Parts: sequence; structure tokens; C-alpha cells
Amino acid sequence: MTVNILVPNLGNEVTEAEISEWMFDEGEQVTEGEVLVVISTTKTSLEIEAPSGGRLAKINFREGELVEIGTVLGIIE
Amino acid sequence: MAKQLNIDPEKTLSGDKLRPSEILIHGYNKQFKDERKYWGDSKLIELLRHMLIVREFETMLHSFKSTGSYRGIDYLYKGPAHLSVGQEAVVVGSAAALAPEDKIFGSHRSHGEIIAKGLSAISNLDKKKLHEIMVNHEDGKLLSLVHDYVKPESGGDAEMFLLTGILAEIFMRDAGFNKGMGGSMHAFFTPFGAYPNNAIVGGSSGIAVGAALFSHLSQGDGICVANLGDGSTGCGLVWESMNFSAMGQFKTLWSSPFNRNPPILFCFTNNFYAMGGQTSGETMAWDRLSRIGAGLNAEQFHAETVNGSDPLAVADAVSRKREILREGKGPALLDIECYRFSGHSTTDTNAYRSRDEIKAWKLYDPIESFQRKIISEGLLTETAVTELIASVGNQIEAITRVVVDRNLVPAIDIKTNPTIIGDMTFNEESIELTQLADDLLMDPGGSKQQQSIKKKARFGFGKDGSLLSGMRAVTLRDSLSEAILHHLTHDKSLIAYGEECRDWGGAFGVYRGFADVLPNHRLFNAPISEAAIVSTGIGYALAGGRSLIELMYADFIGRAGDEIFNQLAKWQAMSAGELRLPVVLRTSIGSKYGAQHSQDWTSLLAHIPGLRIVYPATPYDAKGLMATALSGNDPTVVFESQRLYDRVEIFVEKGVPESYFRLPFGRAAVRRKGDDVTILTIGPSLYPTLEAVKEMQTHGISAEVLDARTLVPFDYESLINSVNRTGRLLIVSEAVERGSFSNTIATNVMRLAFDKLKAAPIVLGAPNWIAPGADMEDTYAPQEEDIFDSVFGEFFPDKRVNKRGIRSWDFIQLAGQGL
Repeated sequence: MTVNILVPNLGNEVTEAEISEWMFDEGEQVTEGEVLVVISTTKTSLEIEAPSGGRLAKINFREGELVEIGTVLGIIE
Repeated sequence: MAKQLNIDPEKTLSGDKLRPSEILIHGYNKQFKDERKYWGDSKLIELLRHMLIVREFETMLHSFKSTGSYRGIDYLYKGPAHLSVGQEAVVVGSAAALAPEDKIFGSHRSHGEIIAKGLSAISNLDKKKLHEIMVNHEDGKLLSLVHDYVKPESGGDAEMFLLTGILAEIFMRDAGFNKGMGGSMHAFFTPFGAYPNNAIVGGSSGIAVGAALFSHLSQGDGICVANLGDGSTGCGLVWESMNFSAMGQFKTLWSSPFNRNPPILFCFTNNFYAMGGQTSGETMAWDRLSRIGAGLNAEQFHAETVNGSDPLAVADAVSRKREILREGKGPALLDIECYRFSGHSTTDTNAYRSRDEIKAWKLYDPIESFQRKIISEGLLTETAVTELIASVGNQIEAITRVVVDRNLVPAIDIKTNPTIIGDMTFNEESIELTQLADDLLMDPGGSKQQQSIKKKARFGFGKDGSLLSGMRAVTLRDSLSEAILHHLTHDKSLIAYGEECRDWGGAFGVYRGFADVLPNHRLFNAPISEAAIVSTGIGYALAGGRSLIELMYADFIGRAGDEIFNQLAKWQAMSAGELRLPVVLRTSIGSKYGAQHSQDWTSLLAHIPGLRIVYPATPYDAKGLMATALSGNDPTVVFESQRLYDRVEIFVEKGVPESYFRLPFGRAAVRRKGDDVTILTIGPSLYPTLEAVKEMQTHGISAEVLDARTLVPFDYESLINSVNRTGRLLIVSEAVERGSFSNTIATNVMRLAFDKLKAAPIVLGAPNWIAPGADMEDTYAPQEEDIFDSVFGEFFPDKRVNKRGIRSWDFIQLAGQGL
């Protein structure tokens, strides 16, 4: 089973965010609830937690890249 | 970072008891012989003499107020006289324990405090320094007056200089320490450590704390004393200030050498009456004022109650507290009980207290008691005391004779220079920034936040002409951030604080990442104490620093009303320009959060003389105007629209410069050229106006759009030039229409461009009711349609363009309803 790591809804009028930091590399094991990636909007930084436990199989966007709400940042297997 | 302070549930929720310790009430028990040894006889006699001077001074004012005459001198004094007869031991005892560099901040009843502090400073300063102070004050004019006319015999010229300066101030004369701009309730003279007194009860508390913070951060020796009355313990600001002065972070988060508490003594002169309300027993919850110390912090503010009828008990207490403060272990609180024999003011008929009570306290008259002691212990004979009293009387008479003479000691010359008072409002000075401060935690350019801004385009339109998002181009928030960080990193005297300013970076992220660069003492989270945030910011600045304070929402201005309206706006002029208040108050105008979080209160502040009011609408302006605000020495309020934080620059094609720059205040920006109508916008109204103007074009109307940028100062010149060409003016802002600044502008344009106007100017703002919630907000702030309708409905009805917006109401009928 795979689970998508999504950019959440970021509040009023915010549509985009920048990837600030991945806390894990591809292939590493993660536990549900652990901070996986930090993203920044124009106003604030946001920690995105692992939606489930498993192996971080794929990272789609790297530090510094811009992503929109709903984008799949990566995949957990 | 507050993350350093972990809140452990197990520890927090385990059972325990708080154990307040005892608070000393009148514990002074030193023997007089020991005091003689400690002070020396001449010093003790001096204390008596200082008390006599204070009393004679107040007696003179009382005599003028009640009989129009003193020692045969006739004079009509029209100003206030809140006298302190009976409180002399408090002011003289306290001043005796303070050094010249210690600062006192007082109340409306502070003649005695500044006289006593001045006398003590004169007695302790070396002669050369003292002479320098007098020669440098107003180019020696006051000193000359003293030498030529007062002709000091007893007491020397310094005492006469002090008393003349104070009396001239009270009598509102040019020779007063503040050119008579302060008067009785605001007299002060900083070179002797007497800082502003305050006509607003409790008003000095936060200012004194701010000044103590400056002493602390500049590692000065002096302590600060907030001289307050018992009645002020009913004031919110006093509680906010006491809490602020003892914030836990000083010790937990600030690093050495700043991990100490600011040296502030809350000195309550407790005369048992707040004007006519009896504090203990009637209007306050406390039985003894010192009890409140127990509710403030674990050290209980080292609170104690002291006998204010005895100057030695007061001096002993103040001196012990001073030592605690100098060790960084303050704050401290003293409840000094004494009895005011004079009325609250000279119109007081003592309706609230009995003759028996007054009579009973006469036995404790501080001067008579101390005189008895001095005589019985053999320091002076009765005759010598009588002579001392007589000489003090002559001293006060000498200064009074001179100061009442309006030819010799005139008021400032308003007839010759009608704007002379106005000219004291702003100093228009600015500072230059030189090098990077040496107290930074890291290179500011290296912070993630700044690097992320660096990646963005500086102009809001991409190469293909498309509008870039706030993640791809520099926003108004980024611009503010750049200007502010530049100042914070190049100006060590600048501190920034407000709610959530540090870890959070401010509720709207303007300071995001700053915590990585700036140490805690330069950027910190304040308690939710808007009044204390503003008040301490003022105190920090007037003591010599520079402050950048933030109120999260402009709606919270109400919480700091007095501090903004009466303190921030007035102290430069009330000090006749003696004080400088380089304070920038940032505040945001909200959106989507309803009636108490969405108000444009620019008009409210523009109404109060003494504040510069800035409201940038573009990133370029935000950066340049913020830099000007922060570099100036005048109090400035910068409004920021939450709706604009993510706006990118669409006007200046070269984009928002990466480097530091300043934009002058008082210059409106032409956002679009046009011929048929001038539209002046204030703040975010610029954007719907531009949309409406595009539509107007399709109906053959060309509009010129001016963005005000600053309300105070305001650029009438550009506006009038434009209106002279177009003949029509619409002013658009989000402030409610009734009493708005737009109406002031409209009225003035009517007068200044009457000949060229083809129609009366129109003011379009928010309707005179509450701002509704997010989903209804477009019915409140002027929208594109409303702007369009105003122009076609009122200026060009012949165009017969259909109405588009929802505003169709009868103005006169609504006004009759109170709307």
C-alpha cells in the first residue's frame, strides 16, 4: 500500500509553498506522526507529519522548489 | 526560543502549595544615634531644610490659588496645583537614597518629588558638572536670570536655578524647564534625574519600566523609580507594567550580561485617598498596598510598607531596594504611607474626610516630627530651626518675586511666532546607519528567511507579463522584513517587541527568521499588555534608545489608548523638544475576523496631533517608508493591511531594490495619470480603485489615481495640482466615513481648489456600522463597484451608466438613525 504526502490547505488565499527541509531521505523508515518535511508559505513555516508509518519511497520535490496545495510531495510505502 | 522552556505535565500537575512569605509593615527600627553616624549631622539638617523648601514651595502655590497673594506678592495663577503638603518625608527621604543618575518618573502631584530629587542631585553632583548643566541649559539663559534677578544668597545658585526653573514651568513661562509646555503636572529636568511627571494617573509606570530597560541594556548604573499614588493601583497599565518589569524571560531566556531584571522601583506614595475615594477599605481590594507584591512574582517584588512620616525610614527602605535593583534582583515595590494635609487640589473642600482625622495625623506631620527630633537630639537649637525656616521662606520668596514678573519672565512669544508650539511637535531628525551591529547571532544574510526572499523576483510581473505569486516575487511582507532587519542589524540601540514577535515572527510573519539573527534582548515576545508595550516603548526611547513596537491588530489600539494618544503623541511637544521619541509603532489592519479585528483606525490616530501616520500600499513603499520611520527621531505609526502582505510590486518596474533605501514622508504617489477625475486612495483601497478605473476607461472617463502613502504629513500640493486639472475628487479608504480623515482632506480641497472644482468632493469609506465577518466583508470595505458607482452616479450622471454595487441608501435618513 502507498500513501501520498500532500501539501495541506494553508489557509486564506495561500495557494503555494516552498519546500524548506526534508527531515528524511528517500528509502528511510518513518513513523506515523513524525515530522517529515517543513514547508514555508509567504507568512509562516509548517511542519508536515508522516501520514502513516513505512518507507519513504519517493520524494517528488526538493528543497527550494515551489509547490501548490494538494501537490504530492512524496510517497510512503 | 521559548521551545527551550519545556512544560512538563507530570511536574506541572503534581500537588504542591504556594508559600507567600511575610511582608514587612513599618519595620524600620534604627536608632537615631546610628542614623547620625550614618548620615552625619549636616546631612540630617539638610534633609530638614529640603523638606522645608518643598513645603514652603507648595504653601506659596496654595496661597496664590486660595488668596491670590503670597508674602505681599499678588499673582493670579490659573493652572492646576495638586499639592503635597504632608508628603515631604517621602520625597526627601527617597531622593536622599538616590544618586544623581537615578531617574524618577512622577505623577500629577510631583512638585515635591522633582524639587527633592533636584536638591539631592545638586548636593551630590560635583561643582564642575553642576555648573556645566546650568550653563548648557538653554544657553545659560535661566542661570543668567537667576544671577541677575533672583540674586541667590542662601542655598547657592544651583538651588535657585532648580526652583526658578520649576516655578517658571508651573507658571507656564519660557524660562520654565520645558518652556512652560509641561506646566505643573509635567514639570521635569532630566540632568538632575527628574524625568517626566504625568497628569494621567499611573501614566508613568510603563514609561519608567521602559527607561529601566534602557538602563539595563545600556548597562548604566542608575535605577528608575516609578513614583505612583495609591490610587494608581486601580489602573490597568500599572499592573501591566509591574508584570512586564518582572517577565520570566529576563532570567530564563536572555543571555549574559542581560539575564537580570531591569532596575525598577515601584514607589507608591500612599496617602490613603485617590482624590476623594478612600483606597484601603473603599475602592481597592487590598487592605495594605504592599500586599499586591505577593501576587506578582515569587520574590513578592520585595514589597514592604514604610512610614512616610519619617524621612529616615523612607531613605532606609529606598536605599535597601536600590541595592537589590543594582544586583539585578528587582523589581521592588514600596508602599509609603503618609498623610496629605492639603486637598487633592485647591478646590477640594475635604468633604470626604473628617476634621478629627486630619487633626490626629497632625501629630505625625513629617516636618514637625523631624524638627522635634533634630532639636531634642541637639543637632540644632530651636532658634536655629526658626532661622532655617525663615531663610527657606526668603529663598522661595526670592524666586517667586522674579517668576511672577511677566516682563522679566515672559511666556513663549506666540504672537510673533504663531506656530511656535506646533514647531515643537516633531524634530524631523534622522540617524545614519553605519556598520553591522556586533551582537548578532549570525550573519543576517545567512538566515533561511532572507535567503528565501533573495530567490524571488524583485518586480511583480514576470518576463511574459504575467503577475507572479507571492512565493515567486517579493511581497509587501518581505519588503517590511528587509527594511526592519536592516535597521535591527545596524542599530544596536533598537529593540523590537510585541506579542508573538520572536519564535512566531509576529502573527503575520514579518519577523520570521529574525530570532535566528537577533539575541532575545533585542527581539522578544511581550505579554498581552498593549498599554505596557506602548508605554515601555516610549520610556525606552525617551531614555536614549530606539524602539519598534507592535500591536498585532489596529483594533487593539483601544487597549493602549492613553499611551498612544496622551503619551506617545505628546511628550516631544510637552518637553518643548527636550525629549526625543524614536518609537515606531507597527500595527495591522485586519481582514476576515469581524468587527473587533477589521477596523481601519488611521483616522483616529491622524486626529491626534503628534504622530506621523504611514500607510503603505505597495512593497516598494513599504520598504522605503519603514526605513524612514525607523531612522527618524519622531514617533511614527505604520499601519499595515493584512490584505496587502502578499501583494507583489506592480508599479515600480525596476522592482523593490534589494539594497536599503528611504522614501520621504508627505509625498503622494501618482499611480495612474488621467484627466477627468482624481481619485485619492488610502492604503489597500488603491487596488479596487485601479480595477474600477480600468472599467471607467471603457465608458470614456479617464481617472488620475493618487496613493496618499502618509496621512501625517499629508501631501496637499500634489493633490491640489491634480484636482486643479481634473476638477473632481473622490477619496477612497476603508475607514468608516463619519469623522474620517478623508473628510478632513475633502474639506480642505474644497477650500483650496474651490475655483477649479466642478463638483463637491466625494468621500467613500466603510459605512458607519460594524465590520461584518469574512463572507460579508465585500459589503463593507469599498469595492470596485462602489468606486465605479460613486464616479458615475455623482460626477457623471449624464453618462447614464447602470449602478453596479449594493450601496443604495439615503444618507440623511441613515444619519438620522445614528448611522
